[in-house]
This record gives sequence, structure tokens and C-alpha cells, in this order.
Amino acid sequence: MTGDTHYDLEILAELAEGLLDDATARRVREHLAVCDPCGESLADLAAVREMLAAVPVPAMPLGVAMRIDRALADEPNPFASVPVGANGLSKLSLVPALDASAEVDSEELATVTPIRRGRRVWVATLGMAAAAAGVFGASVLASSLMSAPGGTLAEPPATSVSTPERSPQRTLAYTVRASGHNYTSRELSGPLVGYFGPEPGTGSNNDEQLDACVQDKANELDRPPIAVDRAQYNGSEATVMAFWEDQSLDKVRVVVVDDNCRELRQDGLATWN
Amino acid sequence: MTPPPEQPATPEHSAVAGARASVTDADLLARHIGGDPQAFSEIVKRHRDRMWAVALRTLGDPDEAADAVQDAFMSAYRKADSFRGDAAVTTWLHRIVVNACLDRMRRKSVRPVADDELIEAAERDTQLPDQTAEREVSMEVTAALKLLPSDQRAALVLVDMMGYSVEDAASVLGVPAGTVKSRCARGRAKLAPILSHLRNRTDLTRVSSAKGAELRDG
Repeated sequence: MTGDTHYDLEILAELAEGLLDDATARRVREHLAVCDPCGESLADLAAVREMLAAVPVPAMPLGVAMRIDRALADEPNPFASVPVGANGLSKLSLVPALDASAEVDSEELATVTPIRRGRRVWVATLGMAAAAAGVFGASVLASSLMSAPGGTLAEPPATSVSTPERSPQRTLAYTVRASGHNYTSRELSGPLVGYFGPEPGTGSNNDEQLDACVQDKANELDRPPIAVDRAQYNGSEATVMAFWEDQSLDKVRVVVVDDNCRELRQDGLATWN
Repeated sequence: MTPPPEQPATPEHSAVAGARASVTDADLLARHIGGDPQAFSEIVKRHRDRMWAVALRTLGDPDEAADAVQDAFMSAYRKADSFRGDAAVTTWLHRIVVNACLDRMRRKSVRPVADDELIEAAERDTQLPDQTAEREVSMEVTAALKLLPSDQRAALVLVDMMGYSVEDAASVLGVPAGTVKSRCARGRAKLAPILSHLRNRTDLTRVSSAKGAELRDG
């Protein structure tokens, strides 16, 4: 086949996949050697593969991940030999018990779930998640997170009243999660409320090195962090800390450090809500 | 099923996974069947990003993709004992996710997608680099994929977008390798005229890929 006749794209694509029989493949190759338009078409086909490969692979949004975690936590393990107790308590044992000191109205929290179907507000799981994490300062954090999904302008968390301010030896109250999420610079410019909610299963901080690092940064900035996430930043292991810059303006200072507490980028400002 | 080298599974790095890194997926699944309440969530943590990417690309809609992935993980959680050791756990999970996506597409027939919705979805859920050229290409590719029949789209998502081998894609889709190849070939043939105008807008112009050049030059 030469001259004005050309092979269609499907034949050329099959040639590229090695799907043609030997005789046909040879004929098409002979044609390609002398036909520029068909060569162009073959290049177009190769470009399709490259373009598909170049589309970025997105990470699962944290809201979706948390929704799935919730759904799984609500589902009794079908293979567990211990039957769910009549009072349903064995199901609750999957998540840490509520910290007794946290003044969280658990009934109020319970109304936040289940999540609505349709265009759902993923952030709605945060209230429950905060309670489940049983972190110090949960009452403060939980109430602020809970008011966010309702669309009401969330009162940003008030500075903790129980923590003595400006004392270098103070024990910091903050929530730590280990999302493993790979943050981009764009995400870290906010809003952050959807990312920094604790998820069930990650407890409070028990890593001394991390604690020392957070303490350092808190001392430097002379304020306690709102939340800390052990995650990644542009593909590297990172700890992301959020501090209030100006609560009334919804401004958050974001500090990103590596495992040795070295800053991976300059502090950035972000929005919380 | 081995993930392509350029896209290593990330959750290995998380602090929680660190301690469990040496535990295989099959071990975790066995623990889950043994009643371990944490084992399955570790599996989810390891693989959720890939499952999300497959579902989002196959369905082209973040809300649909979220539902499909959730359905798939719930189904895997409940039917973990249906896993047969003759395939990798990841292959089994991919199969459940892909089937959940294809089911959704079949049930909904073809839903027309408005342009602004596409833009919104792309902005919300893909971490696109700021270069507008790349961004436009990504959006046009996403839109063009939706024009393909679902079987061709699913094959191209796995092979060309996610970088799986034809053999791995074949076991995920439950069809012979030759079928995957021909679905890919037909899908690419449909996409080529739609996307050809993008070739000069990016640095993809040097794509006369090794294979293409080899074929052309004999």
C-alpha cells in the first residue's frame, strides 16, 4: 500500500502493540518507510502514551481516607471470634477511649456522623475523629473542628486555658497525627482544617525527639502549636506544624521540618478555614 | 504485582507503617481474618493512594471515585477470605476496585460532564504543577479519556497511566494479555486525533519514543 492510501490509526496502534501477523506487519513497515503522514500518525500514537503517563497521580485526599477509615472502624470484623457484645462495647474498643479530662460532649459529637451521602462534607468526620484520638486539649480542638463543616464561620480554637503560658518547662498540648500525606506547597498554603484533624488510631505524641523539636519551634515562636502531622513534603519525610499567626485573621504559620528538626522550607503563612 | 519503579508505594514511609514494613500484605490479610482489628487498616494505608488514582482516572469524577474506593475496601474487608493466595494481594485489591468502577459506569450509563465541573474536579483533586501548559494537557487528557468505552479506558488507565505491565493489567481485568493489548491499541487510536494538537504545546514533542522509532526505521 503506497501512494495516496494510508493505514488507519487502529492498524498502526496494533502494529505498535505487536498484534499484527508477520506478513501484515511487514507490509505496514514498508509503507511507513516511504509515507510521512503515516509516520506522523505513529508518532501521534506514541505521544498519546506519553501524555497519559505524564498526567500526575494524585494522592487520596485526606477527607476520603478518613471517611474510609471511619467506615471500616464502624464495621465489625466479620472474622473476629469474639461476638460483638449486646451493648456494642466491643466495637468501641477499636478506638481509644475518650480522655476523661476532655470536656467533650460525646452525644453532640455522635450527631456529626454518619456522613451524608451525595456531595458530602468530608470534614464532617473530624469532630468524631478528634474525640476518638483522645488527645489533650481535645475539647478545644474538637469544638473548633466541629463547627467548621456546618458552614458557620468556625470560631478558631481559643488558646488553651489549661496550659500555663510562656513557661519554658510547660508541657505542650497538641495533637499529632501520622497521615503520611505527601503535602505540596500549594496545599500548605491552606485551608488546613481539612488536613490537620486527627484520625482515629493515631494517639497523642509519644516520640521524644519529635516532642523536643515541636517544643523548640514553639519556644522560638512563643506559642503552642495547633496541630502536628507526621507526613511528607514534596516526597521527603517531614513533620508539619501549624501555629496561629493571627487567629482573628484566620492566619496560620506553617513550619515544615525533617526528622532532625531541620526546616525543609521557609515558614509559610496559610489559612486555617 | 509490582508497582512501577518510578512510583513507589509511599505509605511505607509513614511512622506507623515503619514498624510493620516487614509484614507482607498477605500476612496482614491473614491477621485480619484471624480477627486482628488493626491489620486491615494497615493494608488500606499502604494501598489507598494507588487505588484512589486508579478509581479517579477510570471514573473521572472524585465523588464517584471516593464511593467506588470505599465500596471496594468495604467489600475486601468483608470478603477477605475470598482471597486466594495465587495472586498478589495488590492484584486482588486492584481487581475489586476496577470492578467497583466498571459497575458504577455500567449502572449510570454515560453521564455528560460539564466543562466547569471537570475543571473544578481537576483543581480540587489533582496536585497539578503550576505550569499552565502541563495543567491544560492533564485536563484535556482526562476529558478525552471519558470519551472511550469503559473497557478501553480501564486498560489504558492501568497500562499507560499507572505503568503496570500488560500481564499485571490482564490479571487485574481478568482477561487475556492479548485482549489488554488490543483494548489499549484501540483506545490509543481513538485518543490520537483528539490529543494530537497537544503534542506541540508541551515538551512531549521528543516522544518519537524508542519503540516508535524502532518500528518506523524497521
